[in-house]
Amino acid sequence: MAPTQDPNSVGGGAKQDEASLKVPSKDPKKKDEKKEEDLSEEDLELKQNLELYVERVQDPNPELQKAALESMRQEIRASTSSMTSVPKPLKFLRPHYGTLKAFHVTMADSDLKKYLSDILSVLALTMSAEGERESLGYRLIGTEGDIGSWGHEYVRNLAGEIAQEYTKRQSEEAPIDDLMELVQQIVAFHMKHNAETEAVDLLMDVEDLDLLLEHVDKTNFKRTCNYLTSAAKYLPGPDDMLVLDISYMIYMKFEEYPNALQIALFLDNTQYVKQVFTSCADLLRKKQFCYMIARHGITFDLDDEMVADDDDREALQDIVNNTKLSEGYLTLARDIEVMEAKTPEDIYKAHLLDGRASSGASVDSARQNLAATFVNAFVNAGFGQDKLMTVPSDSTTGSSGNWLFKNKEHGKTSAAASLGMIQLWDVDSGLSQLDKYFHSNDNPIIAGALLGVGIVNCGIKNDCDPALALLGDYIDKEDSSVRIGAIMGLGISYAGSQNDQIRSKLSPILNDAKAPLDVIAFASLSLGMIYVGSCNEEVAQSIIFALMDRSEAELGDALTRFLPLGLGLLYLGKQESVEATAEVSKTFNEKIRKYCDMTLLSCAYAGTGNVLKVQDLLAQCGEHLEKGDIHQGPAVLGLAMVAMSEELGIDMEIRSLERMLQYGEQNIRRAVPLALGLLCISNPKVTVMDTLSRLSHDTDSEVAMAAIISLGLIGAGTNNARIAGMLRNLSSYYYKDASLLFCVRIAQGLVHMGKGLLTLSPFHSERFLLSPTALAGIVTLLHACLDMKPIILGKYHYVLYFLVLAMQPRMMLTVDENLKPLSVPVRVGQAVDVVGQAGRPKTITGFQTHSTPVLLAAGERAELATDKYIPLSPILEGFIILKENPDYREE
Amino acid sequence: MPTVSVKWQKKVFDGIEIDISLPAYVFKAQLYDLTGVPPERQKIMVKGGLLKDDADWSAIGVKDGQKLMMMGTADEIVKAPEKAIVFAEDLPEEALATNLGYSAGLVNLGNTCYMNSTVQCLKSVPELKSALSNYSLAARSTDVDQTSHMLTVATRELFGELDRSVNAVSPTQFWMVLRKKYPQFSQLQNGIYMQQDAEECWTQLLYTLSQSLKAPTSSEDPDAVKALFGVNLRSRLHCQESGEESSETESVYSLKCHISHEVNHLHEGLKHGLKGELEKTSPTLGRTALYLKDSLIDSLPRYLTVQFVRFFWKRETNQKAKILRKVDYPLELDIFDLCSEDLRKKLEAPRQKLRDEEGKKLGLQTSAKSGSKDSDVKMTDAEASSNGSGESSTVNQQEGASSGKETHMTGIYDLVAVLTHKGRSADSGHYVAWVKQESGKWIQYDDDNPSMQREEDITKLSGGGDWHMAYIIMYKARFVSM
Repeated sequence: MAPTQDPNSVGGGAKQDEASLKVPSKDPKKKDEKKEEDLSEEDLELKQNLELYVERVQDPNPELQKAALESMRQEIRASTSSMTSVPKPLKFLRPHYGTLKAFHVTMADSDLKKYLSDILSVLALTMSAEGERESLGYRLIGTEGDIGSWGHEYVRNLAGEIAQEYTKRQSEEAPIDDLMELVQQIVAFHMKHNAETEAVDLLMDVEDLDLLLEHVDKTNFKRTCNYLTSAAKYLPGPDDMLVLDISYMIYMKFEEYPNALQIALFLDNTQYVKQVFTSCADLLRKKQFCYMIARHGITFDLDDEMVADDDDREALQDIVNNTKLSEGYLTLARDIEVMEAKTPEDIYKAHLLDGRASSGASVDSARQNLAATFVNAFVNAGFGQDKLMTVPSDSTTGSSGNWLFKNKEHGKTSAAASLGMIQLWDVDSGLSQLDKYFHSNDNPIIAGALLGVGIVNCGIKNDCDPALALLGDYIDKEDSSVRIGAIMGLGISYAGSQNDQIRSKLSPILNDAKAPLDVIAFASLSLGMIYVGSCNEEVAQSIIFALMDRSEAELGDALTRFLPLGLGLLYLGKQESVEATAEVSKTFNEKIRKYCDMTLLSCAYAGTGNVLKVQDLLAQCGEHLEKGDIHQGPAVLGLAMVAMSEELGIDMEIRSLERMLQYGEQNIRRAVPLALGLLCISNPKVTVMDTLSRLSHDTDSEVAMAAIISLGLIGAGTNNARIAGMLRNLSSYYYKDASLLFCVRIAQGLVHMGKGLLTLSPFHSERFLLSPTALAGIVTLLHACLDMKPIILGKYHYVLYFLVLAMQPRMMLTVDENLKPLSVPVRVGQAVDVVGQAGRPKTITGFQTHSTPVLLAAGERAELATDKYIPLSPILEGFIILKENPDYREE
Repeated sequence: MPTVSVKWQKKVFDGIEIDISLPAYVFKAQLYDLTGVPPERQKIMVKGGLLKDDADWSAIGVKDGQKLMMMGTADEIVKAPEKAIVFAEDLPEEALATNLGYSAGLVNLGNTCYMNSTVQCLKSVPELKSALSNYSLAARSTDVDQTSHMLTVATRELFGELDRSVNAVSPTQFWMVLRKKYPQFSQLQNGIYMQQDAEECWTQLLYTLSQSLKAPTSSEDPDAVKALFGVNLRSRLHCQESGEESSETESVYSLKCHISHEVNHLHEGLKHGLKGELEKTSPTLGRTALYLKDSLIDSLPRYLTVQFVRFFWKRETNQKAKILRKVDYPLELDIFDLCSEDLRKKLEAPRQKLRDEEGKKLGLQTSAKSGSKDSDVKMTDAEASSNGSGESSTVNQQEGASSGKETHMTGIYDLVAVLTHKGRSADSGHYVAWVKQESGKWIQYDDDNPSMQREEDITKLSGGGDWHMAYIIMYKARFVSM
């Protein structure tokens, strides 16, 4: 709008400018006048002063110029403190922007020009046209000085323009040194003024996060790291790794080791984990680290570099090995007073169903007894006592054997293995309870005992390697049920251990031409579990060869799906690393090729939230296929696996799954409930619950079965009354259909899993970390559920025990410095997302005060309600060591 | 000699010396002393392997202070129970059916729910079943025509099949024969068989059975169906004009419950149904005159069937319209005041006895009386309450009058079956049978899908909405032995 002026005309320019402004119409002029009249005396004076300065700036006399610039600068700086409205000096100078700009061009390079540049740069904040980046332009030729003195808004605007300029220069490959200098200043300014998020944003834009390290200090590093880690979820690879790296370094710099460890575990970087140990000198803190590693479920060996003292190392290794998990869990159970064993009938609560309850058949149904076996196992998991399997044996009949024999053939395998589940994590008594079954002459019972040993040892490591010692000899037995029992047991007990000894035992089975398909399938699964997320080449090779050796008929078998799954587990969450193998999979027989492709893709990107992969998978689901193709099932599951890592992704995924229910083919509809189950595992969201409840009455019985199992999964370990009620009604609705009733029973068992003390969620540490073994266990079960009839409803129902990999107590147990339970008051409430919020916001809302140990539901967070102790980890989950607060004073 | 510590169950045995020159078996014997676990059942775990009896210690390389783990118990080894457990899945279908506690449903062959529900209701009469099972070709009397015979046989077969099977039975044969016998059920509409009135089916089927089961050879049971369902009515005709009066008797298979504005309860409806007006030629007047007909029950059936007259021919719409009015019916029906004077006298003594027994039963619950009387009561209790197959013996008892005690009617009836209709006209909608089982449970037979129901829900079928409403209900007589 500023008319072009003769650059040399001095004076009067401003007047002309004003005049031209007023020319267009009479009305604005009137308004302006009116405004002028409205102005207070003070403002009027300011306005006149500024106009005078503008005139003087254009004065040929440098002295005068300088004085004018100086005054103008004073005025602007004095007023930018307020953010509520456009500062008055800026407002009054607006009309003169063009004049000054024009004059600036004519000026010779001098300090004065730089001063003027400064002022123009500030004025450009409001005057510059979109995309011109004038503010930045003038800044770069202005004085090098404290930019912060011009106010926050100015700095913020500059940051934005820098980001734009940076991308432009990147594409032109122009130098960026001058920009970076400015960035330095801005970052320093932001970091000092509680604007960490903006500093981080700018640095991410200019791809120089390392700068952060210099600028963080004790007061702002937490907020900075918090922002970095939560931003990482939305960044494309490999930026996210970079961001996490930085935040790891910041945490290390400020000795915030638990958080650093958390990130090290997230990055799956053993080197970093070690560094945490070597950097920290405090033994007690190291113990806390060990608890964190144990919860994550990875195998980790401490060496003398990390802990020098032998005894200390042993104590720490014991914690990593989870040897005390059972004890802690039982402490929790005793505190909550749920030690009393429950029978399946206590769970079914048939008396609440009016009249329609089963007529109380006098004859045992093998199917129903098997269901009761599983319910009993899940409900009493880890408690060491129940009312079916561990009842003290009657001297005459041996009544503990009684229930076992109420199961038919392969059912006895699950029954014997259920003992392992009841004794979960308690290796010593578990093994002695299982011992008697080893001497049975009934193959399914031996198989169950072997599997039971594996289950007891799930997540627990022991120097003597009892599971390997006991199961090793049975791998090559004649009977395939015994072999499967041993193989699956090894897979469960050594999941994630990458144990070479076991690999050398299991790999030959894969390529044994004489081995039956089911043995090969389970061997592949177990190898996948043991080497979960390891990208191990040799194992991958073995499985690939095994897949290639399958005959056409074998490829059609439902169990064959475990081969690609085993392969996929090797690459769980490893993203691009899968590509070579995925390439090989393209050469497979077409019957399995796409299934394998989908499984690999979904496993590799599990928990990454990678939007591109979600789109790939969605595209696969959009196709309408001929009958017989089964690869859309894993594609649907894959959608859930990829998106499950953060809340927004989950919500979006739930919505798109709704669409799929409406438009998808039958094989997609069958997988949708399972995908929903995975997304909300142990987190019963009401909307998902309603969807599943609707699907549980679907006319397609496979959809209904999947929905029922998923109802169990979303309610797993929550004792959710609403789901329990739904399932109870379903049990009377389906009382005639043995298969559906079986599913209902299993789901009931899951909902009351561990009497409500357990969770199946693979996420822990405030939903930040994803335990790979836990996810492997769940995904395996879901793949098995894609074809219920031959697997879960057939004779391989014990795949349900793979869930044990994901079972963890959802507790917070505080211990003192001697690791003895210590009861302190804590507040438990709904977690609040405080990322990027100003000040010190509350982290929980709607809290209740309890004393530890306490249960934490999905989305809940705890905080200590006393100052007497200091927790050694900021993430109050699982085992927390408390240290006495030296500054605490009793009131 | 290295010393090791061995962990067994929750115990740790420290400082066990190993003589590495001797085989591992010796070490196991050492542990046997400590734990009492026989060596052959010991499993000792050393670094991911089991210790073999003949293992060489030097090869294992056991270190001083090493920790070993032992597994093993002296527990008894589990043995399979001597008597193998029988699983429902292994049982033949018949055994499962008895196990289930109720019989199978009937497949709907296309608008045949009227027939299915009728069959299910009638099947609940065990006496009818036993009468049918006695029926054979040889016993066929000459006055029974071929189709009636076939229908009787088909009924027998269908009842048998229903008892044996778990899954729904397809009554194809029965339906064919039924249509052959009663061609009105073969009406077609748009090429498919039409829905029919269940009452018609019920009546016709019972009529046929009564004809064919009127076996001349079986001496004791001249007319089985009539003995079971027949109600004798004595009617008094009164002409108000001439004041003349006459009486007549008739036998019907069911009582009608007329529904008018005043009728809210079955009892009122029945009373209403027993009164009527008719025109007939009066001998004294020599012209037709209006007669009032007043009927009373003269003899009681073992099974009292009541039909709710819910359908009437609506001329405007040319179809059988339905009265939706709610008419309550009790689970226990007393028809004493509908009986004739003679019958009432007969009933008085048994009713008194029944009342006494009930009183005693209540008394018994509070204060237990001893003596023979007590057991006496129990016995009669058992008899009175015994349903189904037990009843067939009392039939003989009654007929033969051989035993010392006789069972008597009391005029009190218990509800055993309800046939309901849902919908707005007799030829459309849906028929469902609700039948009380021997176990006392109610089963709803909705074609091929039987499901359990609560007793209180049965009385809710009384109409007044669009839910299932009772159309035909069947009561079973309560007996008392004297």
